[in-house]
Amino acid sequence: MATTPSNMKGFYRLKKNKSGITKPTSSKKSSLHLVPSLGSDITQLTALISHGSPDLKDYHDNHEELMRQFDMNMAYGPCLGMSRLARWERAQRLGLNPPIGFEGLLKAEKVRSECWWDGRI
Amino acid sequence: MAGMEIDTVENLQRKQSTYQSLDETFEIQNETYRGQQYSQIYFARLHMMRTLLYSLVTHWKPHVPVCTVLGLEEGRECIIVGTLYKHMKLKPCILDEYSKERSAVPLVKHHNFMHPDDHLVLEDESGRVKLGGTVLSPSVYVTGVVVALHGKETGAGDFMVLDVLEAGLAPQIEPQLKSREDKYVVFISGVSAGSSLSNPLQFQLLVDHITGHLGDEKEQGIAAEIVHVVIAGNSVEIPLGLLNGQNLASKDQSRLSEPVQELDILLTQIAAGVPVDIMPGSNDPANFSLPQQPLNRWLFPGSRAYNTFRSCTNPHCFELDGVRILGTSGQNIDDLKKYSEGRDGLEFMERTLKWRHLAPTTPNTLGCYPFTDRDPFLIESCPHVYFVGNQDKYGTRILKGAEGQLVRLISIPKFCNTGMVVVFTTTKLRSQTSF
Repeated sequence: MATTPSNMKGFYRLKKNKSGITKPTSSKKSSLHLVPSLGSDITQLTALISHGSPDLKDYHDNHEELMRQFDMNMAYGPCLGMSRLARWERAQRLGLNPPIGFEGLLKAEKVRSECWWDGRI
Repeated sequence: MAGMEIDTVENLQRKQSTYQSLDETFEIQNETYRGQQYSQIYFARLHMMRTLLYSLVTHWKPHVPVCTVLGLEEGRECIIVGTLYKHMKLKPCILDEYSKERSAVPLVKHHNFMHPDDHLVLEDESGRVKLGGTVLSPSVYVTGVVVALHGKETGAGDFMVLDVLEAGLAPQIEPQLKSREDKYVVFISGVSAGSSLSNPLQFQLLVDHITGHLGDEKEQGIAAEIVHVVIAGNSVEIPLGLLNGQNLASKDQSRLSEPVQELDILLTQIAAGVPVDIMPGSNDPANFSLPQQPLNRWLFPGSRAYNTFRSCTNPHCFELDGVRILGTSGQNIDDLKKYSEGRDGLEFMERTLKWRHLAPTTPNTLGCYPFTDRDPFLIESCPHVYFVGNQDKYGTRILKGAEGQLVRLISIPKFCNTGMVVVFTTTKLRSQTSF
């Protein structure tokens, strides 16, 4: 080995690179007002960042967060392939009592009309 | 003109009956395909059946707790409700084409894919569990049936089934029989106009009999009591050689339309005299997946002039004088024959009524439209007559339900093979064959 022991520390990095996908810092967490959900919070947030830049404006909306909860809720059935309003109406018709406020949100177009996974799968 | 003697035979009037079509649930009018998968129809089916089964379970075993598949605890007796999935070794799988070694799977039999190693799995939204025990026989059940199971989880992670609850026959409305006079409904299927097997003279003979051109007064009197004709599928057979996707020569183009024209000529004669419903079958020029939509009326330029001619969906449901009649062109029962075992076609028909689902193997092995908000094949109200077309032989039986329901099961044989039609008496719920 040509290098001397004193150069080893510089040769091999001892710390991880800070670039790439990272876990969110605690400051970001508190501003999101996360509610307990079925999936892991960490994986869902890294999915936000994995697109390149954080889509903060669309998905940090409180209403959108509520709709995401609605999408993920198993009791209302699968969410893919249906618009959120159609799924809400189906839940209503089957007697599952989905939250009434969601219908208003969807009809007023304050949230995305398609489910969370639409376009991502 | 006054000197001519006219026969003083009175004109026989055909009997009338009230008709109401109940095909709305089978029509695909407002559905739009938005890329959905079949998970939606399975969810709708599971939810509707589970709500029903939960209400039945409280009377069946009131002291046993109900839980989901994920909530199973080892050794604790409970009831779970879910969709059955039958794992079949011999079921053809598209992935077999890509698997490297093919010798492990034995040659597939065309008519039945059963194997002694088949086993059942119960699935709901939370998970699935393999079913063990001898109560639930894999040869009887198929994928897509929703049942309630009483049992407990074993150490191996299987669910040992102690008892099973099917939905049973749906509630039935009493038929309001207004008159006591006999009225007949004629069921035909598998006419296969245009095929080498069919004999046009045979069908013409039938048409003449129905329209009253045959026989003496007594025969005509019987024919006048025919109030409805139902043609249950496979009315034409288009020569398969012409459908290979290549451009047709002009001489072949006429061969393509000949079977339908032949059928139309005969249908016009029937429609002129008696209301006739025509349903599409597996060989007819209609869509492939269930529920098959009505045959286009422009295929029948002659018959469509009559308002007695009705092109209907498959499955087809209607009420005649208060008698509810439901039936298919045979695809649902034929598919059950491939994936399960039964004594005869009537036994499969009985099972579908007890499972409250016309075609439980959709969409697994039988093509079906990916509905999102409902499953149209669920039987909400038990029919008085349940018919299936294009079967190998005639068969009929009365099925009694737990709440006093009575259903006449009719298996209609293929006309091109047997020359038989089924004549059903509405007032007495009796059926017989007619050659």
